[in-house]
Amino acid sequence: MITVTPNALSNSPNKMDLTNMTPEQIALDIKGLNLHYGNKQALQDITMSIPKGQVTAFIGPSGCGKSTLLRCINRMNDLVDICKITGEINLHGENIYGRHVDVAALRRKVGMVFQRPNPFPKSIYENVVYGVRIGGENNRRKLDDIVEKSLKSAALWNEVKDRLHESALGLSGGQQQRLVIARAIAIEPEVLLLDEPTSALDPISTLTIEELINDLKKQFTVVIVTHNMQQAARVSDQTAFMYMGDLIEYSDTNTLFTTPTKKKTEDYITGRYG
Amino acid sequence: MKNWFKSGSPWVWLSAGGVSISLISVLGLLLLIASRGLSYFWPAQIVQFNLLDEHGVNSVVIGEIYDRERIPAEQLAHTKINLSAEQETVERLLIKTGNRELVSLDFRWLLVPQITEQSTPSNLVVIERRSNGNFYGVIESLVLAGENVELSKLPVLLERVEHFQDQIEALLKKDIGAINYQLERLRLKERKHNLDGTLTDALSKSFLEDVNRLKAQYGQLEEKLMALRQEIARDQLTVRAMDGQIVTLNFEDILAVTFNNKLTIFDKVLLFFSQIGGFIMDDPREANTEGGVFPAIFGTVLMVLLMTVIVSPFGVVAAIYLHEYAGNNALTKLLRIAVINLAGVPSIVYGVFGLGFFVYMVGGSLDQLFYSETLPSPTFGTPGVMWSAITLAILTLPVVIVSTEEGLSRIPSAMRHGSLALGATKAETLWRIILPIASPAIMTGIILAIARAAGEVAPLMLVGVVKMAPNLPLDGNFPFLHLDRKFMHLGFHIYDVGFQSPNVEAARPLVYATALLLITIIVALNMTAVSIRNKLREKYKMLEH
Repeated sequence: MITVTPNALSNSPNKMDLTNMTPEQIALDIKGLNLHYGNKQALQDITMSIPKGQVTAFIGPSGCGKSTLLRCINRMNDLVDICKITGEINLHGENIYGRHVDVAALRRKVGMVFQRPNPFPKSIYENVVYGVRIGGENNRRKLDDIVEKSLKSAALWNEVKDRLHESALGLSGGQQQRLVIARAIAIEPEVLLLDEPTSALDPISTLTIEELINDLKKQFTVVIVTHNMQQAARVSDQTAFMYMGDLIEYSDTNTLFTTPTKKKTEDYITGRYG
Repeated sequence: MKNWFKSGSPWVWLSAGGVSISLISVLGLLLLIASRGLSYFWPAQIVQFNLLDEHGVNSVVIGEIYDRERIPAEQLAHTKINLSAEQETVERLLIKTGNRELVSLDFRWLLVPQITEQSTPSNLVVIERRSNGNFYGVIESLVLAGENVELSKLPVLLERVEHFQDQIEALLKKDIGAINYQLERLRLKERKHNLDGTLTDALSKSFLEDVNRLKAQYGQLEEKLMALRQEIARDQLTVRAMDGQIVTLNFEDILAVTFNNKLTIFDKVLLFFSQIGGFIMDDPREANTEGGVFPAIFGTVLMVLLMTVIVSPFGVVAAIYLHEYAGNNALTKLLRIAVINLAGVPSIVYGVFGLGFFVYMVGGSLDQLFYSETLPSPTFGTPGVMWSAITLAILTLPVVIVSTEEGLSRIPSAMRHGSLALGATKAETLWRIILPIASPAIMTGIILAIARAAGEVAPLMLVGVVKMAPNLPLDGNFPFLHLDRKFMHLGFHIYDVGFQSPNVEAARPLVYATALLLITIIVALNMTAVSIRNKLREKYKMLEH
């Protein structure tokens, strides 16, 4: 049974007015985003602002478009041929779907961790420095520093410091997921996207990752997709509820879970469907 | 019975039976080739037969028993051989009698009923010679510089001759070969200047000086060679053949003298292995029916390695394009089908293509452009090891493409996404993540390519293999690897020795021995590739999701 609730509903620290933020407070500004898979519309006119240095959770039933929206933020949907996107997502006031955007550079600013841990079949060390090497850094000492720092940030250092050069595939699922997080933060992104990061993990590993997420928001803006409402309540500052491609309700977590304004939200969080 | 059918066990038995039959056939094949091939190297007894033929004439035959078979008695009815009435078959022996310069055929059938006595006297000797095959007989005397000496000196003298022979060989192949090569290059250089119109008097003078210098060196070496030859010609061996003729053999001609009937089992084993060693390391003699097959082994391995070097990058690059970059449309599908169908084209067609396109068109153009000084004798415009390697590379390209593509499609998309999400471009992802993970599959393709290429003979006959190549494609003369040279190949060697040989009986065991060697080499090449693949697999083994 999970007992630790870092962001218990009652003491959410930074309550923000999500509709009225200064540009400095905003990490991501999504405006009128539509997404089609072929003829099927998967996202409908999404407009929302994600605040800096906080954890924002997307919740909703399966197929509601929460993962799709997350993938839009670092343009992973570009990999799907039949996917068409209109609208804007602004990072530092610059539209990431603009004409001259370097997608690789964008993804270095917006890191992502996937549902299943996907370490590369390389050593732990090489996994962590992969993105750094891609960025052109090959100085051994700097890489060593980055590995130590990233693994410490991902709360994995103590478990693997003696076997950095062993295969990453020898780690447990939870360790692998933390390794993947370390790999993502090694290139120091501004935003970290987590796509159901604990759905393939056991409860103990889930707990570790949740604690980690709470630490991560000190350095990064975190956006997390989860199908687990308790998890969203535990880890996030803001929560967005999505349904059938629509953003139904978006407010601070406390408000959304205690006094939802929309009927659909209430039905979902009280477990009437989903 | 019905239940038995329902249980599925008939199908299990059927499948197991199929597997067993396949296994037994493979093992049987290997066993047959190995036993026939290896028995060639085992020193046989030399047997002396006393015969009484149908005309009442006595004669002696000395040789090795090569084969025995039974033939129906009717077959002999027209001869005057006395057979008891109830005898339906007659046994006969095939004897290798050697002594090719004395008798017209060095193999002879003997009818067992005509043999009056069969013995293995210990003084019978088999002499392996450089020409005319083996000699079987009895040593009469050993002549050292015109004087008879004791027979016990024979090993010392043989060793001395071998020592000189080695020196001669080194001189011919290395020093004189190098001078000839340099002379030829000088001639070509001069001709090139001549063709370009840049040949000045000073130049031609310097060429002449170089040529004279080389010729002087050549003269010295030739003198040395003559001196060595004289040393060798000093001694002789007098021997008596089975029909009583006395023959004098020059030591120059003798490779080995063995008293087979005196050998202990230990000696025989030693001799067996040294014979195998000789077969692998020596050059062929006497129209490939004697001696070793080293140039053929070398040619086969070199050609396969060259082929691998050519086919791997092209196959991998093509597969990457088809799988990663080409749009998923009708054209790509067509291309894929075309690639797969290429694997089904008969190999001789590739040979014809290689000859027409590579040798005549590409090679001819290369000659015109870069080797005009040697024309009309072609350099690359003639079959050679490079064209063979390229032709076989095209032949095996589909295999590499298909298995690489399969490997690429087995990689979970999570790997690609993980790399892309870290800011890697598609090319970086391919290079750093996808290709290493796909490397075992690429190796599988290369293994299949090697297996196919090493056994292929038909196209090679058109694009570079010859019965006897005077030089290896790799030697000490710059640029060391001579891709334009023709080469020998074990597969073709088998065909040549077995079916084009003037002496079929002598060649038959060689066919088995060479086949065994070819199989061994292909297995060795494959095992190397498999072990590399297993290492890669271990290194990049995938997460079991």
